[in-house]
Amino acid sequence: MRETVITTETIANPKSHYGNAKASTRHFITQRVTGASNILFLALLLFIVVRLAGQDRADVVSLLGQWWIGLPFAALIAIVAIHMRNGMRETLEDYLAGSTYRLAMLLNTLFCLAVALLSAGAVLKIVFWG
Amino acid sequence: MSVRARPTSPHLQIYRWTVTMAMSILHRMTGIANYAGMALLAVWLVAAAIGQDAVTQVNYIYGSWFGQVVLFGFTWSLVHHMCGGLRHFVWDTAAMMEPGQREAIAWATIIASVIITVLIWTVFVWMA
Repeated sequence: MRETVITTETIANPKSHYGNAKASTRHFITQRVTGASNILFLALLLFIVVRLAGQDRADVVSLLGQWWIGLPFAALIAIVAIHMRNGMRETLEDYLAGSTYRLAMLLNTLFCLAVALLSAGAVLKIVFWG
Repeated sequence: MSVRARPTSPHLQIYRWTVTMAMSILHRMTGIANYAGMALLAVWLVAAAIGQDAVTQVNYIYGSWFGQVVLFGFTWSLVHHMCGGLRHFVWDTAAMMEPGQREAIAWATIIASVIITVLIWTVFVWMA
């Protein structure tokens, strides 16, 4: 793919339709909605880590195994992963383009998916199977 | 969605540092640190799901002095990114953007993040 460099003229000219209107708006809204949700995640994370840091597996199961703690925690982790992927996309867009960008975005998606599936999966395992 | 090469800034050294610029860079850096740090949470949770031996090993690593330094840094990184996000929520309403105000809110993020982090570790780790 041939990479065209965006000049200041491209950005200044409203007719060049610099950027993708729909995708960019969705990105903006997603990042703010998930960011607000992440405040709840941090509060719950602080509560959980303070209670469980350095503790044994039985203590982890007795706290996270309660569904009203485990299920919201798993859901908030999944939302964090969306925020991570969206935020990293912003960074990648600034420095990479074309096929390098697409490869980096693939790795970004895989990492965020792995974090979400492993963390939320581990919590769900503890909730449903102890 | 095709992404075109974007113009990049000249080297950082040519700019006079401002606090808003420093907080912008820190917001991106702490975002990347949080991105990597989430792997630490994943490791701990997976270990807890697997069994006591795995939990013991993770507790040993995270409880070592190096682990504690990393976790302290991770705490500050999370708190700073949250404060930076709250600052962006304020700016989204077009408030606090005038000269002086934007510098004040930028200073507030770094000061608040350091105070909150030290407070969390003092109350829940050092005095617990």
